[in-house]
Amino acid sequence: MPTPDEHENKEAFLKRVREALGRSEPILHTPDHASLKTTPPRQEEKVRTIQAKVEARRPQLIARLAEIAGAASWNVHRVNTVEGAAATVAEIAGRANAKSIVRSAEEVFSRVDVDGALRRRGLSWTVLASGGRRRRSDLKRLAFASDLGITGVTFAIAETGSCVITPRRGVARLTSLAPATLVLIVEAEQVLESLDDFFAITRLGYQRDRGRSPSYFNFISGPSRTADIEQTLTIGVHGPGEVHMVLVGQ
Amino acid sequence: MTIKAALCATCLVDQFYPEVGEAAVKVLRHLGVDVSFPEEQTCCAQIGFNGGYRREAEEIARHFLDVFEEYDHVVMPSGSCASMVKVYYPELLAGDSEALERAKALGERTHELTDFIVNVLGVTDVGAASSGLVTYHDACHLLRELHISSEPRALIQEVDGVELQEMAGCDTCCGFGGLFSVKFPEISAAILNEKLQNIGASGASTLVANDCGCLMHMRGAMQRRGMNVRPMHIAELLAEGLGDASPPQGSR
Amino acid sequence: MAEVKTAEFKQASGRAIRNPGIQHALDHVMSHFTEARAAVIEADYGDESWESMRTRAAALKSHTIERLDYYLDLVDKNVRRNGGHVYFADDAAHANRIVLEIAERAGVKRVIKSKSMVSEEMGINPALEGAGIEPVETDLGEYIIQLAGETPFHIIAPAMHKTRQEVSDLFQDWLKTAPTDDIKRLCVIARDALREKFEAADMGISGANFVVAETGTVVLVTNEGNGRMTTSVPRVHVAISGMEKILPAMEDLPLFLRLLPRSATGQRITSYNTFVGGPRAASDEDGPEEFHLILVDNGRLNLLKDEVLREALNCIRCGACLNHCPVYRKIGGHAYGWVYSGPIGAVVTPPMTNTKIARDLPFASTLCGACRDVCPVKIDLPRLLLHLRQRVAEGDGVDGPANGWSERAFARRWYNAVKTRKALESSTRLARMLQRPIVRRGVIRKLPLPLVAGWTKDRDFPALAPKPFRQRWREGLGGD
Repeated sequence: MPTPDEHENKEAFLKRVREALGRSEPILHTPDHASLKTTPPRQEEKVRTIQAKVEARRPQLIARLAEIAGAASWNVHRVNTVEGAAATVAEIAGRANAKSIVRSAEEVFSRVDVDGALRRRGLSWTVLASGGRRRRSDLKRLAFASDLGITGVTFAIAETGSCVITPRRGVARLTSLAPATLVLIVEAEQVLESLDDFFAITRLGYQRDRGRSPSYFNFISGPSRTADIEQTLTIGVHGPGEVHMVLVGQ
Repeated sequence: MTIKAALCATCLVDQFYPEVGEAAVKVLRHLGVDVSFPEEQTCCAQIGFNGGYRREAEEIARHFLDVFEEYDHVVMPSGSCASMVKVYYPELLAGDSEALERAKALGERTHELTDFIVNVLGVTDVGAASSGLVTYHDACHLLRELHISSEPRALIQEVDGVELQEMAGCDTCCGFGGLFSVKFPEISAAILNEKLQNIGASGASTLVANDCGCLMHMRGAMQRRGMNVRPMHIAELLAEGLGDASPPQGSR
Repeated sequence: MAEVKTAEFKQASGRAIRNPGIQHALDHVMSHFTEARAAVIEADYGDESWESMRTRAAALKSHTIERLDYYLDLVDKNVRRNGGHVYFADDAAHANRIVLEIAERAGVKRVIKSKSMVSEEMGINPALEGAGIEPVETDLGEYIIQLAGETPFHIIAPAMHKTRQEVSDLFQDWLKTAPTDDIKRLCVIARDALREKFEAADMGISGANFVVAETGTVVLVTNEGNGRMTTSVPRVHVAISGMEKILPAMEDLPLFLRLLPRSATGQRITSYNTFVGGPRAASDEDGPEEFHLILVDNGRLNLLKDEVLREALNCIRCGACLNHCPVYRKIGGHAYGWVYSGPIGAVVTPPMTNTKIARDLPFASTLCGACRDVCPVKIDLPRLLLHLRQRVAEGDGVDGPANGWSERAFARRWYNAVKTRKALESSTRLARMLQRPIVRRGVIRKLPLPLVAGWTKDRDFPALAPKPFRQRWREGLGGD
């Protein structure tokens, strides 16, 4: 329910904008803009084509993702099996001398037994998810105290070397933001070719779930960085300064 | 079929650098062009237009059309003046459909000097001879409005005895900008300073440009500093070693 | 609204030119930006050419601006559907009031801010401080200039004019840290200082690089991670956007996510792209409980209502025009006296603020066109500057001519001299006589006239040639 003051101004504001554009009447129909007008059936067809393409070219896309990400200061680890992936994650944690590990609660961990691998190394971790039981302030505190985070992704985009994180139940935003070291597990089926692929799929999701699609998602395309002092590049400011992509399968 | 062209000297050449006009005539005649000089010409109106005085600029532009539109070709030894006619007259005269048509038609037949020589006459070796390292300054309107940059370079490279030596930032503004140079002289001088450093660093003994505005600006400081680089208009370079500028029999 | 100091443009430019530190920073940083941009564009990763991308982007932005009322309405509907609140702020003061009301209702005491140029227009920080709320800039460059009490020097690199020594001094003064000339160490100091602020903040204020109308999504393009912190950690998130930052559809994003980072920093993509669709869902683990989007006019309507200036609203705030501008590269951002500098600043400042105060700006350009060549949305900046010059010289239908008497006199003299051949010949004949006392060996070393006197400080001025070309033509060059 909008608060009273929010809409007092809207009609007057829009009227001034309209008049500035030389129109007296509002536009009533969707403008002739292709991206807006694609109906759900056509969008579905588009997405099916993307999925077919991505499946057919999977090995090349994975290779491309690894190449672009590697050039963008990701540490890329390619592994063939879920066991290898789990071991790699634990090895990264070991080498980073991580004292306070957090991970999300995601489906990928039922396939990639990170918990087992960490345990075997004598490392402990916290699942940064509550399902409503953990208090907000606790979750925040734990996240800010952590030094290594592990999550899955919803997609990875080869064109830009990006991982897409979609916070939801079990996946806290801070897991991939607060720790200084971040490990993302990407499974082969999650790799897309381009930004266009990703947004076509996201749009279909939005069309299907009218207003109930993700409240927030994020691309991570490398470590946190700045060049604000003397144009000199420094890696690792507020977000993780060391990012690892564990790329499973082909 | 002899090509006939009217020379629009431009006010800077007419009043300050007449030797550039003479050189342009010499080169064009050497290439077989029947050159006219419509004496009623005054100015292309860029000064007024750039200052925001479009009412006055429009009148001067109409005068330009009256003077030049009877000619097959109009040749101008200035990129900024040529761009005024070809690019900005249609904007200036947009409110009068008849004048707009005239401007567009004349614009098609109007060319900056090197554009004319290379793209209309189809010549890159005019037969000139000089010596030394020459560096070339890309005047902004010539480069970015008229997209002329390979033509002057081709012409320079075909001058016997001369080698083209590109300078750093050859396509960076010299800081003239007409009114800008007098309204903001300190900024103008600072921009110019960098250009002069680049000219000096190139090792060239001659600086060539197609625009007397840029040249006036650069030359003014080069003289003040006693720089050992000869600034010249490309017409002057292309006229070197060509012989005298006598008109062919019976022309006017 | 942020104070407009553009009346001091000439003096401020002069000071910047004479400041060796600023000149050194400009030399170093500008070429870094231009080279990085050129390299990433040349690397040509995709199927579509850079030129094709620019053309499509220009058309798309123009399409959107022409229908801005429709798209603003769509943003409103979709953000509200997502559970957010939308406000339409007429001006800076109104926008500040909205922020303060939101803060008061939510019991906010500590605010963190990520980069927002609009919030600079608003002067939001003093407004918050006045209400007893502590705002902290979290973008490193903005944090540095906040400590220094300055305005941004560049749209993308606000503290580019500060040396590491100056930054160290600021941190020593404000944070009591030990001096250091190690840039990595300085970043760690800032990180630690800001980390506490992230954790403790009640409200995050962000900008918006794009607002997608179709889905009501606010998009942030960042590198440091503070953008994510600001939009994720506090319980209230306020996003402030100029009303023109809209893109119609989700699938319009790839084009702009390719154009912006390449143009701004020479990156293929920034480290983070954040897409905010509203407050957290009930089932989310964290995220703000409240999401507010403030769409701000603050003078943009003046650009919108002018058919020529409207194009300036296509700007995606990449800073490329600044980096390639021969004028900006000598004077830096502070001389422009307001929030936006460089060619885009020269275009938007007079209409958005007050034409008379900022009237010098459209003339502070050589019209070289380098900006137009690099603009990712192909804004014809020289054309817009010429249009503004006309408004100053001839009046804009509201205000009369606003330029000085010496310029109007010069213009009148020019016009009278070039109306006809006779006028030209007689006026130049007179000028030849008048110049005789001041000509030495063909040049004039000192021009005693108002308006043009500045030329001869560093340059000789040519004398009028004894015989103009037209006379030589008559006397034989033309033939019989």
